[in-house]
Amino acid sequence: MMRTAISILKKDLRMEFRSKESILAMWIFSLLIFVIFNFTFEVSRLVMLEIAPGLLWVAFVFSGMFGLNQSFALEKENGNLRAMALMPVDGGQIYVGKFLSVTIIMLMFEALIFPIFIIFYDLHLSLGMFKLIPVILAGTIGFTSLGTILSAVAVHTRNQQILLSLLLWPLVSPIIIWSVTLSGMVLSGEVTEAFYPLLLRVGAFDVIFFTLSYMLFDFILED
Amino acid sequence: MSVPALEVLGVSKDFGRIIALRGVSFSVQSGEFVSILGRNGAGKTTLLNIVSGVSRPSEGEVKLFGTDPSDRENKAKLAVISHEMFLYGNLTALENLQYYSRIYNVPDSKERIEAVLNDVELTHRRFDLVATYSRGMTQRLTIARALLHEPSLLLLDEPFTGLDQHAIGMLIALLKMQKEMGRTIVLTTHDLHTAAELSDRYLVISKHKIVKDGLMSGTNPETIRENFFSAETGGIQS
Repeated sequence: MMRTAISILKKDLRMEFRSKESILAMWIFSLLIFVIFNFTFEVSRLVMLEIAPGLLWVAFVFSGMFGLNQSFALEKENGNLRAMALMPVDGGQIYVGKFLSVTIIMLMFEALIFPIFIIFYDLHLSLGMFKLIPVILAGTIGFTSLGTILSAVAVHTRNQQILLSLLLWPLVSPIIIWSVTLSGMVLSGEVTEAFYPLLLRVGAFDVIFFTLSYMLFDFILED
Repeated sequence: MSVPALEVLGVSKDFGRIIALRGVSFSVQSGEFVSILGRNGAGKTTLLNIVSGVSRPSEGEVKLFGTDPSDRENKAKLAVISHEMFLYGNLTALENLQYYSRIYNVPDSKERIEAVLNDVELTHRRFDLVATYSRGMTQRLTIARALLHEPSLLLLDEPFTGLDQHAIGMLIALLKMQKEMGRTIVLTTHDLHTAAELSDRYLVISKHKIVKDGLMSGTNPETIRENFFSAETGGIQS
C-alpha cells in the first residue's frame, strides 16, 4: 500500500540530493535572517531569549516555503503532474509521498541550521533542549501536511507562490504561534505545565490536517 | 458482442463561457487504431483529457472497457503520449523507468526496462540524465515510459510535434508494432499522411464536435484532406 508513497519519496530525495536546490536555498535564506537580526539589533541576552524562538520559526517557515514551492514545481515540469493524475494509484498515496519528501527535506534543513542559530544567539545547550525535538517535529509536520496539499492546489495557477502564501498563512498560523510559544519555553528553560497540553494541541492539528489532506488529494489532481 | 475499449457518449465540456466540446459521441473497438483530426483549438486535447480520466466532462459519459475511466484498473491499462514528456530531467533514463515500473507494478521490471530501452534505441544512454537528451531522444524515452506497463489502450496527443524524421520514423514503426500486437490506439494529429498510414478509422473534430467518422482503408490522404475541409465547412457526413 505504501509502495507508491515510498517510490515518490525516493525519487524526490534522489533529485534533491543531486541538485541540492531546495536545501541550499533554504539554508542561505535562514542564514541571512540570522545574520541580519544578529547584527542589526544589539539587545541584552534576556531580550534575545524572548525573540529567539520567533526568529527560529521565521527562518523555518519562510525557508520551508521554498521547499513547498519547489516540491510541486518540479512535478509541473514536463507535465509530471498530469502523469500523477494518470497513475493507477490512490491520490492519498501520492500525497503521503510528497508530504514525506517535503517534511524530510525540511527537517534536514532544520538540523543543519539549528547549530548556526545556537552559535549566533549564544544559547547554551542543555539536556532540557531535547524538548525542542518534539516541538520542531510537530510544528514542521503541521506546516508541511497543510503546505503539501495547498502547494498542489497553487501549482495549477500562474501566481503559484503568492497563492500558496495567501492560502497557507491564515490556516497554519495557530500551529506556528503555538510552536513559537513552546520553543520559547524550552529555550528559556521555563517549561511550565502548559507545555504538554499545548504540544498535544499542535499534534492534534497535525492529525486533522494530514487526514483531511490525504482524503482530499484525489480531487486536487483532477483538472 | 464484446465491450468497446472506449465509448464516448454525448460528451460536452465547457470552461466557464468557453465551450471546448459539444455532444461528442463515438466508440472505439478493441484493437482498432483511430485518428482524430482537427485544427488547433478544435477540442482534441480536451477530449483525450476526458477519455484518460484526468478531466471530467460537463455533460455526457465516457466508458473505458465498460467502466469509469478514473477506475484504478482502467488507469493501469492506459498510457498517454503527448508533447508533455512525463519525465524528470534530473533523473537518468533508467531511474525514470524504474520509478514508473514501481508505480505501475510492472512484473519482471528489470527485463521489461531493458526491452523498452532497446526498442527505442536508448540502451547506451540509460545512465545519462534526461536533461541532457535531445528533443527526439526525450520523446523516444517518453514512448518507452508509456509502453513499459504494456497498456491495452494508447492515447497519443500530437506525439510527432517537434520530432526529427528519424524519431518520427521510429515512432511510426513502434505504433505499427503496437497495432499488430492488438493494442487499441487513439491518435490526435494534424498530419493526414501519418494518420492515413497508421489508422483503421478517422474522426474529424471541428468547432468542438465530431463532423466526420470514416473508414481509412483504401482512402488516400488527399481524399481525407478533401473530406476534412468539406466536413469543416459543410456539415456532418458519415
